[in-house]
Amino acid sequence: MTNHWIDLKNSDCIMAIGCNPAENHPISFKWIEAAVDRGAKLISVDPRYTRTASKANIYASIRPGTDIAFLGGLINYALTKDLIHKEYVRDYTNASFIVNEGFNFKEGMFDHWDDREKAYDVKAWTYSADDSGKALRDGTLKHPRCVFQLLKKHYSRYDVDTVVKVTGTNKFDYLRVAETFCGTGQPGKVGTILYAMGITQSTHGVQNVRAVAMLQMLLGNMGIAGGGVNALRGESNVQGSTDYGLLFHTLPGYLPSPEYKDETLETAIARYFPKTKESKSTNWWQNGGKYMVSLLKAWWGENATAENDFCYNYLPRRNGNHSYLQIIKKMIEGKLEGLVCMGMNPAVGGPDSLRAREGLGNLKWLVTADLWETETSIFWKRPGANPKDIRTEVFMLPAAASMEKEGSISNSGRWTQWRYTAVEPLGNAKSDLWILDQFHHHIKNLYKKESGIFPDPIVKLAWNYGTGHEPDVHKVAKEINGYFTRDTEIVDKDKTLEFKKGDQVPSFVQLQDDGSTVSGCWIYSGSYTSKGNMMARRDPNDLPNGLGMYPGWAWSWPVNRRILYNRASVDKTGKPFDPKRPVIAWNASEKKWEGDVPDGGAPPVEDEKGVYPFIMVPEGVGRLFALTMKDGPFPEHYEPIESPMKNPLSKVQSNPCAEVGTNVTCDLNRFPCIGTTYRMTEHWQAGAMTRSLPWLVELVPDMFVEISQALANEKDIRNGDRVTVVTERGSIEGFALVTFRMQPFVVNGVSIEQVGMPWHFGYAGLATGDSANVLTSGAQSPSSSIPEFKAFLCNIFKGGKGA
Amino acid sequence: MTAMQKVVSEIRSFHLFLRILIVLVTAGLFAAIARFAFGLGATTNLNDVYPWGLWISFDVVTSVPLAAGAFVLGAIVHCFNIKKLEPLVRPAIVTGFLGYSLVCLGLLLDLGQPHRGWHVFAYPNLHSPMFEVALCVMSYTTVALLEFLAPVFEKFGFHLPLRFLRTLELPLIVLGAAIATLHQSTIGTFFLIAVDKLHNLWYNPILPLLFWISAVFTGMCIIIIEAVMVHRYLDQPDETDLLATLTRIIPWFLGIYLVLKIFALFYLSERPLFDRPVLTTLFAIEMIAGIIIPFIMFLHKRIRTDGVLQLRAAGLVVMFGLVLNRFNVSMFGMIQENQQIYYPSVIESIVTIGIIAAHILFFAVIARYFPIFEHHSEDANNAIEDGFHSTHEQVVPEKI
Amino acid sequence: MSTERDLSNQRTFLIDLTKCTGCRACQVACKQWNQMEAEKTSFFEGEGYQNPATLSEYTLTTIQFKDYFHEGKNEFSFYKAMCMHCNDPACVSVCPVSAFIKTPEGPVIYDTKRCIGCRFCMIACPFGIPRYQWSKALPLVVKCNGCYSRVKEGLKPACAKACPTAIEYGGRQEMIDEAKRRLAVNPGRYMNRIYGLEEAGGTSVLYLSAVPFDDIGFRNVTRRPLPSRTWAALRFVPTAFITMGGSLAFISWLTHRKEKIRREKEMKEVERASQKGDRS
Repeated sequence: MTNHWIDLKNSDCIMAIGCNPAENHPISFKWIEAAVDRGAKLISVDPRYTRTASKANIYASIRPGTDIAFLGGLINYALTKDLIHKEYVRDYTNASFIVNEGFNFKEGMFDHWDDREKAYDVKAWTYSADDSGKALRDGTLKHPRCVFQLLKKHYSRYDVDTVVKVTGTNKFDYLRVAETFCGTGQPGKVGTILYAMGITQSTHGVQNVRAVAMLQMLLGNMGIAGGGVNALRGESNVQGSTDYGLLFHTLPGYLPSPEYKDETLETAIARYFPKTKESKSTNWWQNGGKYMVSLLKAWWGENATAENDFCYNYLPRRNGNHSYLQIIKKMIEGKLEGLVCMGMNPAVGGPDSLRAREGLGNLKWLVTADLWETETSIFWKRPGANPKDIRTEVFMLPAAASMEKEGSISNSGRWTQWRYTAVEPLGNAKSDLWILDQFHHHIKNLYKKESGIFPDPIVKLAWNYGTGHEPDVHKVAKEINGYFTRDTEIVDKDKTLEFKKGDQVPSFVQLQDDGSTVSGCWIYSGSYTSKGNMMARRDPNDLPNGLGMYPGWAWSWPVNRRILYNRASVDKTGKPFDPKRPVIAWNASEKKWEGDVPDGGAPPVEDEKGVYPFIMVPEGVGRLFALTMKDGPFPEHYEPIESPMKNPLSKVQSNPCAEVGTNVTCDLNRFPCIGTTYRMTEHWQAGAMTRSLPWLVELVPDMFVEISQALANEKDIRNGDRVTVVTERGSIEGFALVTFRMQPFVVNGVSIEQVGMPWHFGYAGLATGDSANVLTSGAQSPSSSIPEFKAFLCNIFKGGKGA
Repeated sequence: MTAMQKVVSEIRSFHLFLRILIVLVTAGLFAAIARFAFGLGATTNLNDVYPWGLWISFDVVTSVPLAAGAFVLGAIVHCFNIKKLEPLVRPAIVTGFLGYSLVCLGLLLDLGQPHRGWHVFAYPNLHSPMFEVALCVMSYTTVALLEFLAPVFEKFGFHLPLRFLRTLELPLIVLGAAIATLHQSTIGTFFLIAVDKLHNLWYNPILPLLFWISAVFTGMCIIIIEAVMVHRYLDQPDETDLLATLTRIIPWFLGIYLVLKIFALFYLSERPLFDRPVLTTLFAIEMIAGIIIPFIMFLHKRIRTDGVLQLRAAGLVVMFGLVLNRFNVSMFGMIQENQQIYYPSVIESIVTIGIIAAHILFFAVIARYFPIFEHHSEDANNAIEDGFHSTHEQVVPEKI
Repeated sequence: MSTERDLSNQRTFLIDLTKCTGCRACQVACKQWNQMEAEKTSFFEGEGYQNPATLSEYTLTTIQFKDYFHEGKNEFSFYKAMCMHCNDPACVSVCPVSAFIKTPEGPVIYDTKRCIGCRFCMIACPFGIPRYQWSKALPLVVKCNGCYSRVKEGLKPACAKACPTAIEYGGRQEMIDEAKRRLAVNPGRYMNRIYGLEEAGGTSVLYLSAVPFDDIGFRNVTRRPLPSRTWAALRFVPTAFITMGGSLAFISWLTHRKEKIRREKEMKEVERASQKGDRS
């Protein structure tokens, strides 16, 4: 989230698209309701009429996988009806930038397509620049090659009639959404967009998110209280795990993980943290090298010196894609020896899970750490499998639950809150920290004893977390914050700051690239300072602006900033666009900002020393036109890989860059219905934590499938009947839930039914049922490698599989 | 001969009907044991929608007025001094005593915690109709027991207590009638709390009064039925003439009841009244077959004085005027629209049949061994010496 | 029964169903705090995601789902069924052993040690709340105690604590004022009615709804406190007892006196008879 949970209460219009906060983020609804109480409008855009929809002022149904058409239509509506925030678009986005001739869009494709590589040449899309390398601009936004005009042209095809033909949305509903949400473009009005897996889990998922961001920039809703682009993270600490480098392509703090060609630290830094030509751009990433060095110092401590490139060469340098699906693919191909699954359940959670389950049998060993037996840990005795035929050695480590251990969690709003042990773990259950610590000791000892091809990265690891039974979690947190490795003097503007060896770093501003600082995750610098554990703060007082930021409650990255890009909430003189909701305001007499922690302390843009608001990109302004997106600078609607119709917007059926896989089909004779998967309030992800809790099992005990009355009539299915759902990947069984909340989509004049199902079930635990992910395909987005869980083709029959 | 053998041979001498009753009572006993062994949920069709079923509707709500004969007749004979009805008093008292004892038994089965019955006295709640009924039923059972002890003492020649009881007779009758008035009406009060559940056809604020009046005329009708049956099957004298006196009283009560019912229906009840055909039909049957037809019948002297016709009219009153009414109030009228229908389980039915069988059986057995049908005038018994002689003259059979 | 007590400070739930998302945290929190067993359910035992079907000996509160189509619009509504904690509770009045108590704080509590299991409370409750342990040989009644042990310590009941959106908990007057404020500020959003304000003489649970209360499972309940209905009859008990007893005694005295006089007259006529007249 660019903003945070409580900030939802400040909004005038909340559009929940591809998410279901009432069911999957129930607590968020407290703040959504607070906004609605103030008169805000809640819009729910969802294929199903959900519990969120039941609370919404406007519900618009949408065919799964057509979000770009929906959002593109809104962009077009805002542009053609002149509802955009003009000052904001002109000054704070790249709308005025002139794009070079390398960019063109024809019949569904951008220029510079390499058909052999199935990829665009991203470098071909650049700004036209003057001799100094500074981008050319046209402040009037009239230049035919300026981003604004290109944008207008691109989305002119997304007129309302075309859009609803694609999305299957009722035109009246769509117009209400457009009118209501685009109404937040005027200054003094603010809208927020909430999204989750409905947006991201798509072969064009990243472009979906971009469409969301572009709409918000056009309406001037970024950086504003009650605005922003807000991803509702699905797991209570998934924000934390992403922050700490969960994904293969990042290191902690979103530092890029080096590739094969990044041979030295210096070249890697030069490549990933470019300098900017824009004088007023902060371009914060230019400090990336300091963070990289501080991270290497955290990992290899004294062993990391300037002379040895701070052990940069100990980092694995990747070659290509190592995402989840690639790991599973390797496993299926028998190229993976062992797998450690900590709180991960690929037998249920991943797409095409029948194949994943088979693949687990190719491992030599498997380690799982969980609260209960999961489908993954008992894959060898799953229904239909013969344990004798499976040679994988499985180790099940009992893990402690979140309330059985101390530590921090980071919520979607980036608030990092410290939690204490409430109860001791049951039996032999251990915290993840203990388990990892044991891994470390044993593996290090093995390397010490037996050496190996390259023992140094392990043997030389710094591991200074005390000598207790388990590592001191405070020591870990302190290292993440960072400290000085020697006495240091730092000149900051007019004063000189002195630090002693071992002092905690006050913030990442003080991190250095000379080895004098250590920091395990730069964005968390400031979370555990000399003032103590900032994450454990519980000051219930709000700022005078009353916007619910509570700066003394816990701590949020970066530097306790509660709303990202908050410099975009003020005009060029530093005056809030919305005086009723002043996130920050420039106090000209005292020459300082008031309110939230600003995005950099520099004065407003107009000031001589002023800087642009979007400090994380070299341009310093928001990108309506993206320079580095693999599948195009503008989001373009493509059909999901398994789609019931021809793409009405162009000849290009689906995202040309997407990795499709083999077992997909668009055979409507066999699979005439759209299938979609989702989560419910009552169960959690792959169900490992909830399907063994009787109180939750009582609420939702069985796998079920939601269908419309019309489909039920057609197939002679009654509520509560057993039904079978089939796709190209496999078939599952469940109870039919026949409901008015499911309605067929009328797309291109044809009525298409949808089948909805939760993906929580599996064969382990107290409540068992077939896994919906048996049905889903491994087609994935080129930018994020996320699978297309939400849209596929299927068929449904009355009776169980035995019938 | 051991005592056991004696009992067995005695039972062998019983009429086949009585022996069948013994089987039914035994079955009821086992069903009652099953209730405690397996719980109410497993053995009855009761559930959260129907917390009260056959046992309450019949064994309590219906049985109590069916046993009302004792207090009604007691009052008529002793208070109003209509002496010629005296021969009917003792059988009525026995019926009453048995009826109330079995009500208590039925209630114990129905209670979740029968062993805590004494809590009613330990933690009394004056606002609870149930408390009042429990108190009354227990006191009344005691009173009925005392009244019933007279023939027992007579039989065994316990003169002193008998004399004592005789002294207490009138106060006991008055007390009994007063207590009965309370609980007969208060059973109606039970359902005043069910304001949104009991259908408007039956729910009205004078329900307790209606319950009391209907108990009074039912009590009398039961005496008629009992007398006719006893005459037919236990070789007791034909009391048709005596009963004709009762039948002159009954239409007064039926009439008052009818007027009050109609008044309540039109002036005291909420609307709608006739929205549910099934309930309307039940109400019509109750009123026409149970009240109006017998009322008209009892107005005719020929019917009043004819043993068979008396029986029929009284039977109508009991079956429809009372039993159906009590079921309508406590069960049918409480069923909400679109609600599942309750029907008693096998065990529930066996218990209730067992209780009815026990009632008849015990009555017959008591009639067989105790002097409850003797015609003795109040005068004769009041003289202590004469009483002594009259009881002394009796043949005392061997103890069982 | 006296209803003159000051109820304004009684702890009261304000359940705004327009804010309820049907997440059922209340249901689970209730089971956890009260350590109630989970029920064995299958599929869904009601509309929508309803489970279990109703309150039971294992379940003190449920969200009742309604999933229907009305005037071209979906309705997916949620109603938290629970004990209403009446101001003047029928269960308290009918219980023969005073097992129910209306506490001064508000919750109507139930004493398992007193209950005799007669189920009169179940008949009496206009909202159909008390349940019975049908599975047991010696069953007791089961009912929401309003988390009295928590309330006494100044905490909210478990369900109110767990609810992210819909439940306010506070003094009755404060809750009524808040409900009225919401109705006034946002009349289009609500049915113009506070369920529980007057139902059964007023309750410690108040509801607001966007759809007609009748449509989503609320019972139409009389406004008059129920105990007053039985009390209207019960208060005549002493009078009835004395009147009945007195008049019967008087009649007996009268009839027997008449008899005595008659007999004395007879005796005088039959000379030298020395029997005493009867007396009782």
